[in-house]
Amino acid sequence: MGTLIETLDTLPHWLHRQALEHGTDVALRHKHLGIWQLRTWRQLADEVQGLAGALQARGFSVGATLTIISRPTPQAIVAALAAQWLGGTASLFDPLDEPAGQIDLLGELQPDFVLAQGHEELLRLGAAQVTPRVLIYLDGRGLSGSGPFDRALDYATLMGSKAFADTVPLAHAQQTAFVFYRRSQQATEAQRIRHTELLQHGRHLVQREGLGRYEEALAARGFASAGQARYLLAPWLIAGFRLNFPENLATRDRDRRELGPTLVAGTRETYERLHGYALERLPPPGDRARRLVDWALAARPGALRRFVGHWLVRRPLRDVLGFSRTHAPLVVGDALRPETQAFFESVGIKVRRWGDSTEWEVPSSSPAPVTNGQDEPHSQRVWKEATT
Amino acid sequence: MTQTAATHLLELDNISLSFKGVKAVTGISFRVAAGEICALIGPNGAGKSSLLNIISGVYQPQEGRIRFDNRERRRMRAHDVAVRGVARTFQNIALFKGMSVLDNVLTGRNLKRRSTWIEQALRLGRAGREDDSQREVAERVIAFMQLQPWRDALVGTLPYGLQKRVELARALAAEPRLLLLDEPMAGMNADEKQQMSRFIIDINRELGTTVLLIEHDIGVVMNISDHVVVLDYGRKIGDGSPEAVRKNPEVISAYLGTRH
Repeated sequence: MGTLIETLDTLPHWLHRQALEHGTDVALRHKHLGIWQLRTWRQLADEVQGLAGALQARGFSVGATLTIISRPTPQAIVAALAAQWLGGTASLFDPLDEPAGQIDLLGELQPDFVLAQGHEELLRLGAAQVTPRVLIYLDGRGLSGSGPFDRALDYATLMGSKAFADTVPLAHAQQTAFVFYRRSQQATEAQRIRHTELLQHGRHLVQREGLGRYEEALAARGFASAGQARYLLAPWLIAGFRLNFPENLATRDRDRRELGPTLVAGTRETYERLHGYALERLPPPGDRARRLVDWALAARPGALRRFVGHWLVRRPLRDVLGFSRTHAPLVVGDALRPETQAFFESVGIKVRRWGDSTEWEVPSSSPAPVTNGQDEPHSQRVWKEATT
Repeated sequence: MTQTAATHLLELDNISLSFKGVKAVTGISFRVAAGEICALIGPNGAGKSSLLNIISGVYQPQEGRIRFDNRERRRMRAHDVAVRGVARTFQNIALFKGMSVLDNVLTGRNLKRRSTWIEQALRLGRAGREDDSQREVAERVIAFMQLQPWRDALVGTLPYGLQKRVELARALAAEPRLLLLDEPMAGMNADEKQQMSRFIIDINRELGTTVLLIEHDIGVVMNISDHVVVLDYGRKIGDGSPEAVRKNPEVISAYLGTRH
């Protein structure tokens, strides 16, 4: 590295800049074996370049798509950025989505380059009869002796090969950074987000919410959505704060409590689950302690009620929910139900909505875009295959 | 895995045990190949748990010899058996209920410590370094057994199925070459049994640990075992692959009752 970045109009360019200017700052944290493991911006950029080099050596080029079937993990972020570094697109799939629909989608798309979390995800690929040119897995557990996947590459081994891509990202502003697919009743639909659009929304959020380098954000569940890319990944790269990943899905609430993120970019489901979690732990209705809670959480409290309620109820509740330091509680996509919104407001958390404006393309009326003179051959081919 | 070609980790030769004249096992001989899952089945009172207790050194047989990892023994204390690489779980959960999952798993590392109790009490010299390395191994086991959400929970507060998993994790923390499981799925529902079966297979395939287990659920036994030994009234009546045992007329009449 060492090239001065003059244009900051893609996600990999922002990564490059953060690595050059704040290389020793922490970019990612991931809880593993009970300990928060750190990656600095420099380490992250090196890992992205390393994976990009490995992908490039296996035929990944400008316009190609890397399909990622993974929970939110640092490796999934690295893979998305590596694909974009090479001028490609990352297509994210959530392993928690209903398997049958995902298998149908994968079968239609027949991706060439795939990164899968582990055995379960590889089984889905097998069920979809997908035979990618390059198949990478993150977790090798359960794969020993699995014939169908004997050509699959271990991510850790791949990263040890020390291949490096170009030191300057090949991406440009009008290329598609992320593509998301879903099946509606009529057809397969796609959401495509270009770098320029992501960065525009990301900048807007950073300015409106006053986000800086010292934020702590938690990427827990909703990773495979356009809203998360727009309002979590792009702001993270622009503002240069820390992105934290829980140990696993089952520990996310405990990890959130431990971390106390300042930025929460959750979905409606995130907040509703936390609302339910809090209600389960409150004393039963009619109980004296519950009457105190209800008294403290009443709308428009007076000075005494506000003071006592803060110390006895609101603050402890915010601690339990992991919102003790949160100044940017955001819901991405659908709005909260009124009762959930009211609950969070009663404990002093004003959840703000950031809508996801990306259109779902209907194949017949919205063909895959051609960007800035550079076709996206793989995506187009896939699109045609998927829709004919 | 063929019995003749494989390297045998455990060999029992003509083992007999009786309690005050009551014969628990009589002249039992079988071999467990390195890297296999061997199931010990039989009706209640067939002598399965007694045999497991003999292998783990809790009981000393009156007759016969045991060969583990090419070393023969007639009498050996449970502690020495554990040092040689044998770990076990119990039919009735034997955990420290007032301790956390992590602390229970850490107790499985006791034999791996080299520091003296004084060094440990005062955290002198290698004791501190050992704490870190033991914790790391325990965390790896917790991750392997997917127990992270309950790492700090008191074991006594956990549901039965999870306690069974913690007990297995504690045994695994000793990094055994041979893992003895006494009815690891007793009292579990179908989902829990499936999950536990997956863990046992993973322990065997991913870690290369040889497993000898007692289990009453024949469906589970036939699914996960490479080798099945059948006991009845303290005698061995079947020994072979699950398919061979399933077809053995003596086994069918004594244990399975009907042809499946």
